[in-house]
Amino acid sequence: MMKTVRDLFRYNLEFALGAILILIVFGFAAASFFSPYPPMDSYVVAPDVPPSWAYPFGTNSRGQDVFWQLTLAIRNSLLFGLSVALMSRILSLLIGLVAGYAGGITDRILMTINDTFVVIPLFPILVLFFFMMRDNMSWPMLAVAMASLGWPYDARLIRSVALSLRTREFTAMSVFSGMSTRQILVEEHLPYVLPIVFSTTLNNMNWSIGLEVTLSVIGFTNIETPTIGTMIYWANQHTAMVAGVWWWILFPVVLVIMTFLGLYLLSVSMNEYIDPRSRLTRMGGQA
Amino acid sequence: MRIMQVLAFFASAWLVAQSALAQGISNLPREETIIIENPQGTITNPPWFNIWMVARGGNSTGLQQLGMDTLWYIDPDAGIDGVWDNSLAADKPQYNADFTEMTVKLRDGIFWSDGVEFTADDVVFTVQTQMKNPSMIWGPVFLASVDTVTAPDKRTVVFKLKRPNSRFHATFTVRWNAAWIMPKHVFEKVEDPTKFDFNPPVTIGPYKLHSFDPNGKWYIWEKREDWQRTSLARHGEPGPKYAAYIDPGPPDKRVILQLNHQLDIIHDTSPEGVFTLVKQSPTSQGWFKGFPYAHPDPTLPAVLFNHQVKPFDNPDVRWALALLIDIKAVSMASYRGAATISAIGVPPTGLYGKYYFDPMEDWLKNFEIDTGKSKYKPYDPTVGQQIAEMLRPSMGEQIPTDPKEIAKAIGRGWWKPNPEAATQLLERAGFTKQGDQWLKPDGTPFSITLLVEGDQRPVMTRAGTMIVQQWRQFGIAAKTQAYPSDFFPRVESGDFETAIGWSVETWGGHPDLSFFLDSWHSEFLKPRGERQPPRNRQRWTHPELDKIIEEIRTIDFDDPKVQELGQEYIKLAVREMPIIPLMSYNVFTMMDTTYWTGYPSADDPYTNPVPNWANTKYMFVRLKAAKAQ
Amino acid sequence: MRTYALYLVRRFAQFILVVFIGINIAYLITHLTPVDPVEQAISSVTMFGQSSPEMVEVMRKTLRELYGLEGSAWEQYVSFWRRMATGDFGPSLSAFPTPVSTLIWQALPWTLGLLVSSTLIAWIVGNFLGGLAGYYRKNSLLKALGILAMSLQPIPYYIVAFILLVVFGFLWPVLPISGGAEMNIDRQGFAFAASIVKHSILPALSLVLVGLGAWFIGMRSLVSNIVTEDYVTYAELGGVDRRRILFSYVMRNALSPQLTGLALSLGAIFNGAIITEFVFGYPGMGTLLVRAVNAGDYSLVLGITSVSIIAVASAILVIDIIYPLLDPRVARS
Repeated sequence: MMKTVRDLFRYNLEFALGAILILIVFGFAAASFFSPYPPMDSYVVAPDVPPSWAYPFGTNSRGQDVFWQLTLAIRNSLLFGLSVALMSRILSLLIGLVAGYAGGITDRILMTINDTFVVIPLFPILVLFFFMMRDNMSWPMLAVAMASLGWPYDARLIRSVALSLRTREFTAMSVFSGMSTRQILVEEHLPYVLPIVFSTTLNNMNWSIGLEVTLSVIGFTNIETPTIGTMIYWANQHTAMVAGVWWWILFPVVLVIMTFLGLYLLSVSMNEYIDPRSRLTRMGGQA
Repeated sequence: MRIMQVLAFFASAWLVAQSALAQGISNLPREETIIIENPQGTITNPPWFNIWMVARGGNSTGLQQLGMDTLWYIDPDAGIDGVWDNSLAADKPQYNADFTEMTVKLRDGIFWSDGVEFTADDVVFTVQTQMKNPSMIWGPVFLASVDTVTAPDKRTVVFKLKRPNSRFHATFTVRWNAAWIMPKHVFEKVEDPTKFDFNPPVTIGPYKLHSFDPNGKWYIWEKREDWQRTSLARHGEPGPKYAAYIDPGPPDKRVILQLNHQLDIIHDTSPEGVFTLVKQSPTSQGWFKGFPYAHPDPTLPAVLFNHQVKPFDNPDVRWALALLIDIKAVSMASYRGAATISAIGVPPTGLYGKYYFDPMEDWLKNFEIDTGKSKYKPYDPTVGQQIAEMLRPSMGEQIPTDPKEIAKAIGRGWWKPNPEAATQLLERAGFTKQGDQWLKPDGTPFSITLLVEGDQRPVMTRAGTMIVQQWRQFGIAAKTQAYPSDFFPRVESGDFETAIGWSVETWGGHPDLSFFLDSWHSEFLKPRGERQPPRNRQRWTHPELDKIIEEIRTIDFDDPKVQELGQEYIKLAVREMPIIPLMSYNVFTMMDTTYWTGYPSADDPYTNPVPNWANTKYMFVRLKAAKAQ
Repeated sequence: MRTYALYLVRRFAQFILVVFIGINIAYLITHLTPVDPVEQAISSVTMFGQSSPEMVEVMRKTLRELYGLEGSAWEQYVSFWRRMATGDFGPSLSAFPTPVSTLIWQALPWTLGLLVSSTLIAWIVGNFLGGLAGYYRKNSLLKALGILAMSLQPIPYYIVAFILLVVFGFLWPVLPISGGAEMNIDRQGFAFAASIVKHSILPALSLVLVGLGAWFIGMRSLVSNIVTEDYVTYAELGGVDRRRILFSYVMRNALSPQLTGLALSLGAIFNGAIITEFVFGYPGMGTLLVRAVNAGDYSLVLGITSVSIIAVASAILVIDIIYPLLDPRVARS
């Protein structure tokens, strides 16, 4: 394992770059535990101070230290991305493997459901979801909602792999040796699809963090939880750009771009490592 | 790379074209056009001008400001010729002795934009049509109060009322809007007035529709050639030949547009945006010359409690929560100090300083609360001065120094934060403190959810966030919840604990409080779960309050007793603290003098500049083209 | 051929099923939202002007009748599908009595015009450059482009749009940042068209920048795979013009998966419409949807969602129908 990582670092520039970016971002998030101010409080420091030694990222118009606020915001954003990714991976694995292995009518039913989810316009549904939930619209709820919308593409991909696994000899062997469906799926097929799951996790995190930012800047999330999205939301509310408080916008944007780039580079290099043609199969899987 | 050369060519060609087109309103002469923000934004149903139907099209698109007219106007500020203006009416309303009949005399020589004369028949038709169609806005009001309406002659209308009502004329008196008069000769030809789009509108105001965007982003109005035949002509000729009401986008885009002189009047933007304009655009001006720039609208943002939710039915709890608020911090967080604070249940705007704040100041200073363990006087008359001092280091000369000016612009006193008294009050209400956390009498944590409007009303959201933080620091599990859509319907459905909103709105220029107070009578109270009709959003009832309201109903609108009874209400509301009054609704209306001058201001408060008010029609006769001077 | 016909029938049945389920989910969610259009309408009246408590009661009752909200949930559901079957979305509630379809028709050209053209531009430019980059792997300019595409690709749309807005609307204000065309312009003729183009530059640019990367990277890897195939090597050895090899042999073969992707992203343009139109104040379906949601106008919300569901489903259907004709291997399996 360690050796693989070392090799990747040495020979794969994308991996090295991605890993460094993600390390920086995670380090930043970890720093949030040392924040000298309560994270939700405003007016703890002088407002609108430009970046300086005392406040490396400046302070915002709500009297918060942008540096410390950002550490917490990126932590929440990452946590959000991870939880959405994990939940939707479980869904796509379950549906993809079962559909691919079972085939026939089960496959058709599951894929019809799958296609329905592909067809439903995602963003309007999330916006509607916000209005439906009202009081209960919290951060975990949004994660669940996004997870239940974020699996279909990857489920199809996993299904196509499972479909090919089904025709392989070792599957037939397992069936003859009396393994249950559950056993076959978990012990025989799962290891084959795990690499795909891993790289789609990174993509899915990008997707969900991006959506969270988008929803937040329109104000369709819980605006009190500091995330990258709500930071930009509050900055916009205070017209930070025209008021000349550029540091309030610049630093979150830079950090979130680093996150996206890092995750993306890692997933690309991982794909290449697993299978140089995986991108091709992925495109086929979507059709 | 030839492509690059081609691209570069196109880019430069386009840049040249761009500067040639430059800012403008296409084929209209810019110096004869005023461009105004329509805060309704983009209109969903642009070709709908039937303003008598509920929520169908735009109304502050210029339609109600420049195209409509009705019997009377009350100015939220001093007024162009006094607070009261007889607009289509020739005189004040005449009631009989028991207020069951109202007679109106109408003006002569007023014409609709299609040349037809305005008569009493139009007024009668307006009332009767809407009574027949209660889905039209004023239909239900007329149904509830009007028995018959007749026109004995061309210039007289007589309303026979179903029951005594000394405030019936309010329906025809503009404060933001009022029941507009319909052109009978247009609507009588229509089969179903509720499905008629009234496009193009036949106007009775001094302007007529020039053109509009089929996508609802702008409306342009043109001065009528026969503007002399409208009621506004008594005050002079309107300055601008064209008026464009546009959707300029979010607050930062509005600031950018005004910096480029492409938006003459910003309806509202963020305080920070205003500071930028003040710094970078010497031609931009607000209502106040210096701080706080904004126009205080006669609306009172407050912490609304839902009195039907425990423990907010307890005045001790409400007072305790009020004593935990540091208004200075709230003022800074919400308006960056540019708020006009108010400790009492009326907004500190218009002429209300004279009517209520000055006469009440001594009573407030001596007002005492008894927490059971101690007595003390919570009113701190110097809070306004303190805010001014706090702002002076960073804002310098923009901060007024004259105490009178400070009182007018930043406000007078407020309640001094007193955690100790709050503790005593909460303990008397049966609350206990365990560690850092307050517990309710039943032993569960004292948590409060404060509803805010989020994006729809950023400044109020900021105030709410600050208040919640102060409560949290005291050991109450408080949080805000942003609810940008249908905020008021939700508050009125009673589905909230506390909210930042308002239930107090006044005429501004006139001391009568019935505009909001009448609906606070207990006869309108709904049980929890049912919708409370506006505006008693806090669902507060009190026998003394009912008495005050009933007495107001029996006296004339202009009776001096109106003010006395208003003070009674204020005292009751201070003792009971049904809502925590915060400040006036300061609207950051910014006016650019590059093309137009003569805007209203605190020094010349002849009307409200906030452009969605129908009362802004008076502004047009004072506007002068800057280039012509 | 019989198998293809059978395939068509089955595929079409699935299309109907997917659209049916999709619209039902949308119906369910829109009708679960607590935002009540009647209350919205009433509050728009009582928000500023006068309101007497009696008035509100009467108004509530009449509006409920007028909007056709009386009747059980089941009756409303049945009448919804009856109207849907004839392509009628009913009247909008926030713009009553204007039909939902009128409002959609007003907004649709803007959304379609902006998003279709920018999706196409991104597709053409991305594939062209990606193809070049896959074929001429040594070219340093194309390499740099590759890095640029890589770094743009993962950034969420909002961030890109926001940066463009700040740069060209504020720091160097040369482009219009809101609206679809200039005010009060003559809606016929060249000036109008020019104005539309000018107003669409920023939104289109943001969409192209975000879309470009994926096509570029996809095409590059497709081409670099094909280049190693024998027939390309033979052609090169046989002295066929390299440009001809690239365009006639390599790119053409790489194009079919990219076409699939194009159809999919054309179908999904309504997703992008909301945020683009929000950032740039552009008229269209997205703005309409947000306003409808805020007003609790579920007939309008449902109308817009249904249109976009049908659009995506049709796009996928078309691909699935054409695909076997392009690639006989799929048809057989």
